[in-house]
Amino acid sequence: MNTGQIISAVGHAILIGWMVFGGIFRTEQLPIEATEVSVISGEAYAALMAAQDSPTSQNEVAQPAQPVADNEVVDVPASETLPEQETPDSAPAPFADDAPDVSELIPLPDAEVSDAAPVLPTPEPEVAVEAPETSETPVPQASVRVAPEAVTAPDPEARRDPVEQDAVEPAEVGETVVEPQEATAPEEAATEIVTEAEQPAAAPETSLRPPPRRATRPAVQTAETLEPAAEPVAQEQSGFPAVEDALAEALGQVTETPRAPSGPPLSAGEKDALRIAVQDCWNVGSLSSLALETTVVVAVSLTQDGKPIVSSIRQVGSEGGTSASANQAFETAKRAIIRCGTRGFQLPSDKYNQWKDIEMTFNPERMRIK
Amino acid sequence: MMVRIFIILMALVMTATLSLAQQGPLRIEITEGVIEPLPFATPNFVAENGSSVEMGAQLARVVAADLQNTGLFREIPATAYISNVTDFGSVIQYPDWKAINAQALVTGAVNVSGNNLTVKFRLYDIFSGAELGNGLQFQGTTEGWRRMAHKVADAVYSRVTGEAGYFDSRVVFVSETGPKNKRQKRLAVMDYDGAGLKYLTDSRSLVLAPRFSPTGDRVLYTSYETGFPRIYVLDVGSVQRRVLESGEGSISFAPRFSPNGQTVVYSQATGSNTDIYTMDIASGRSTRLTSAPSIETAPSYSPDGNSIVFESDRSGAQQLYIMSANGGEAKRISFGQGRYGTPVWSPRGDLVAFTKQSKGRFHIGVMRVDGSEERLLTASFLDEGPTWSPNGRVIMFHRETQGADGRSTLYSVDITGRNLRPVRTPEGGSDPSWSPLQK
Repeated sequence: MNTGQIISAVGHAILIGWMVFGGIFRTEQLPIEATEVSVISGEAYAALMAAQDSPTSQNEVAQPAQPVADNEVVDVPASETLPEQETPDSAPAPFADDAPDVSELIPLPDAEVSDAAPVLPTPEPEVAVEAPETSETPVPQASVRVAPEAVTAPDPEARRDPVEQDAVEPAEVGETVVEPQEATAPEEAATEIVTEAEQPAAAPETSLRPPPRRATRPAVQTAETLEPAAEPVAQEQSGFPAVEDALAEALGQVTETPRAPSGPPLSAGEKDALRIAVQDCWNVGSLSSLALETTVVVAVSLTQDGKPIVSSIRQVGSEGGTSASANQAFETAKRAIIRCGTRGFQLPSDKYNQWKDIEMTFNPERMRIK
Repeated sequence: MMVRIFIILMALVMTATLSLAQQGPLRIEITEGVIEPLPFATPNFVAENGSSVEMGAQLARVVAADLQNTGLFREIPATAYISNVTDFGSVIQYPDWKAINAQALVTGAVNVSGNNLTVKFRLYDIFSGAELGNGLQFQGTTEGWRRMAHKVADAVYSRVTGEAGYFDSRVVFVSETGPKNKRQKRLAVMDYDGAGLKYLTDSRSLVLAPRFSPTGDRVLYTSYETGFPRIYVLDVGSVQRRVLESGEGSISFAPRFSPNGQTVVYSQATGSNTDIYTMDIASGRSTRLTSAPSIETAPSYSPDGNSIVFESDRSGAQQLYIMSANGGEAKRISFGQGRYGTPVWSPRGDLVAFTKQSKGRFHIGVMRVDGSEERLLTASFLDEGPTWSPNGRVIMFHRETQGADGRSTLYSVDITGRNLRPVRTPEGGSDPSWSPLQK
């Protein structure tokens, strides 16, 4: 065997080893996307058409009443009664505009903050805020809440909770002692935003608007099809994979030695359960459009009962957007971790070393197109 | 030698392999979330003296209404509160607010002294257990209390969403009364939420298409006072106006300010042809930008003032085009079925709002400036005249119902298509134009 053959053999061995252990053949289970289609009855369609001009649907919330003490408030009259300001057939008198009447903003000192838990009265589970939102004119497939999975209107008696469970009454007889518990159900949700234009409605066949002024013009030469929307550019995740971390470490670029978790790794199902638990609280509805283009990586440490240690939550990376949008995205992610971790994430205690430190990547790319 | 090379290479392989096996912290990726209003609480602002109690309640109600009307927030009713805020400087009982699922808490204090009003507020992130930004204090007169409430709401909105608010803004529109065949129209201006309405013209002559200046102190509009349409510029404070003279024998309409407020772009019809012109307001000198035999109208500047989007039927049907602010070749951006009109460039510069007529229905929609990602937000018998909120997040437009007694009403909708709601006006309303944020 000559030198060339030896080098070739060793090189191939390295390559094969790299492919086997480097995860080249490892496949990620792709998410299965399903589009739900609902069939509505003729009656439901008629009800839908009747609701077309009504502002009482879920998305058309009535304006709240304004304070009556304000002289400038204009009430909305149901009739055609004219307001006091009306001066028909005469030119309006000049009026003093609401010139700058807001002074310079003066920062206040920081408030005292206390996390000490006061003696709380037992909170009533049926508080008003938990009441389900109902509408007299139901609009199919539309909901105030948009979530990964559609949820029908829950039982009004059930407390809102991501986990659905039946109520359990204390057993009067029998050997098995069953702890009583409330019925819980997730909030009603749709899988995507449904605009008014996407809902079936009573559309007139012809418009009363005048026809085009130049209807006899030659036909449009350009294709009358929408240009396909630009495919969102896949977020480059090169900063996050374990491969690059390992390479960097192998090349001596890592100064801090990460703690190696011991014990059996989490199964795919256990990871999915954690992911679902967090995503149920990841509310991106109030994020700016720029923050919706920002992926943040958030590190968090958990206690042994699965509760996040708030002081450990920190942003370890971001991609896209600006530093301000990254901060906004981080705050939203942090809120999600704290909210859904209040009662502790359901993780196997015997694998604590595997999940006591977690890095969560919050990628809102899919949420942008809801 | 060969053995040494082999050992080194094997060592490298082992190092890489061991490194890969060591995974560090558990890593998961969250790609799905929820979109729902963020629950918040706004207790009545604390009265710092006896005469401030009513004002404290009113301020809190306006702040809450501003936030709730965005559709991004949901107010938790006071009846659900476990603890209340009785002292502006008191320690926040986070567990009490967590228990009712409040994610944000707005506290405030108010002091009325004669005609002077002082308003303070703080915003808390309940689940983080910390204040979100520093507390702020506003000073003004009692007459301007609603503006101060809007300022507070703008600050809260900005800190939570990361984008500017739009509550301290106004809307000029055409107020309408009477049946369609005998409708009286006059210009009116109001706060964005319908409060503080004032009329700018009487109803003796037809008025159309008012447009705010970039500074919000002037309004352009078209009036038929002399029997044919002419463009006027009106000072909102003094209600003084003057006509912008265009060419002899021509009809001018659809005016709109340039972003610097010094130029007006408008349509001018001469004979059977309509083209787009600009006019320098100070000198009155006009420049023709288009010269096609078709109808070009409804021009709107990009926020940087470099481009103009407009509608034209040069292809046979109304479509949207973009050209340089100096004129020249235009690029078509709308290609869907139906007719597109009244384009308006977003203050952010990324979207164009438009009216679309297709299959007998009217829609308000948005598309990117290259024509991609078209999305229809509304659908009705007649929706027209979109205008952008100062932060580019909300679109206001008018909707007319069918029939001789059909009423025209102002509506607003989020650019996602959510939160479609009517805007309160005492009479019918059309042709709204949103002002910039007030200073």
